[in-house]
Amino acid sequence: MSDKPAPRPPGNRVSVLVVEDEMMIALDVQMMLEDNGYTVLGPAGSVEGALRLLDELRPDVAVLDGNLRGRPVIPVARRLRSLEIPFVLSSAYDIFTFDGSDVLAGAENVQKPVSENRLIAALQRALS
Amino acid sequence: MDLDELYRLLRDSHVQAVSIVNTLRDPLVVLDDEFRVLNANPAFYQTFSTSRDETIGTALADLGNGQWDIPELRLLLDQVIPRSTSVIDYEVQAEFPHIGRRTMLVSAQRLSHPDSGQRILLLTIVDATERRQADDDKDILIGELGHRIKNLLAVTRAIACRTEVEGRSAETYRDDFLGRFDALARSLAVSTRETEADLCQLVRAVMEPYLEKASAITFKGQGAIALLPRQAMSLGMILHELATNALKHGALSVPAGRLDIAWSLAEDRNGQPEVRLSWRESNGPEASPPGTVGFGTRLIRFATEVDLKGQAELSYQRDGLVADLTFPQ
Repeated sequence: MSDKPAPRPPGNRVSVLVVEDEMMIALDVQMMLEDNGYTVLGPAGSVEGALRLLDELRPDVAVLDGNLRGRPVIPVARRLRSLEIPFVLSSAYDIFTFDGSDVLAGAENVQKPVSENRLIAALQRALS
Repeated sequence: MDLDELYRLLRDSHVQAVSIVNTLRDPLVVLDDEFRVLNANPAFYQTFSTSRDETIGTALADLGNGQWDIPELRLLLDQVIPRSTSVIDYEVQAEFPHIGRRTMLVSAQRLSHPDSGQRILLLTIVDATERRQADDDKDILIGELGHRIKNLLAVTRAIACRTEVEGRSAETYRDDFLGRFDALARSLAVSTRETEADLCQLVRAVMEPYLEKASAITFKGQGAIALLPRQAMSLGMILHELATNALKHGALSVPAGRLDIAWSLAEDRNGQPEVRLSWRESNGPEASPPGTVGFGTRLIRFATEVDLKGQAELSYQRDGLVADLTFPQ
């Protein structure tokens, strides 16, 4: 992590970091967000990939899968909290039982499969 | 019956009873009504790494280092047993010397001596630690399977949502959807083991539906290039998109068309293993980039660049599409 805060992605659109390891779902979520006027950062399919992206750019909000190739998404959630970036979860897992899941407290889980309406509504709530 | 016969009978049934008790695989211990050990079988000595001398005549609570002095077990002996003649599989967890923390299932049966009225208690003890561990492992596995099913449903739903509907008949939509669905299923089927899938098997499995439609498809590549199941799924979906496109608009849409698929394992600039796959259509109609980027093309790019962390070069040539894919193994 550099000392300087990461810049926002260029453009006026609201940017969303997508963290999802399942290719088809990542593409689907990306297309949903683009259809609704958002800019997508990523998608990142791993904890490391997501943290690397956050070193470079600062999204306005994030949507996180709970489990990335067998690893809980917790370190990403922790980094987002420290950057004061709101996030929503989209997970088939009961992620609130993971170690360190207190960092997820207050985040909305839109579940999986995710519907476009539910995701967009949750992102708007997270941003407000 | 004379006395000799009776004596023989009694002796024989005693011997028989002793052999039965001795051959029991589960530990068995006989207690008097003050819970002192009257007898125990070899399985008991073996399981708890103790001896006959240390055991017989000792109160159950004093055995070993007092490991049987467990609140749950005391409750069982003091409260439950006097009220019922038998207890089955009462679970007790404790730290035992030599063998560590175990989960034991204790069953008890109260017996009265027919003549003297002396009451004895038979305790059988089954070490269920491993069975419990296996149950827990099974629960985790079932949970994991449940999540994989949910994930797969979410993937299928995404495919159904993203398959084009505009200006298409229900029949066309169904065929397009099922083509993608089958490619997904074939890619998953190739990943027989948790850890890897073979590239050659994957190409053959995904291309199999097209072989009957065209005779001029060739495969050329090294055997046994291992892919992760996740990579196999992405590559399988990419191959399907290329194939379905070739059948509709490309070399597989005309009788003279050819398709050559070749692959190899090479090294990238940093010496890391890199998979290269080339898809060459020829003798077909002139290929041209789609006017608007359809979902298929988007899927190919996304799967290669975002998921496989590689590159897809699509070159639209005069007699067919040429696609070169490279991605780290």
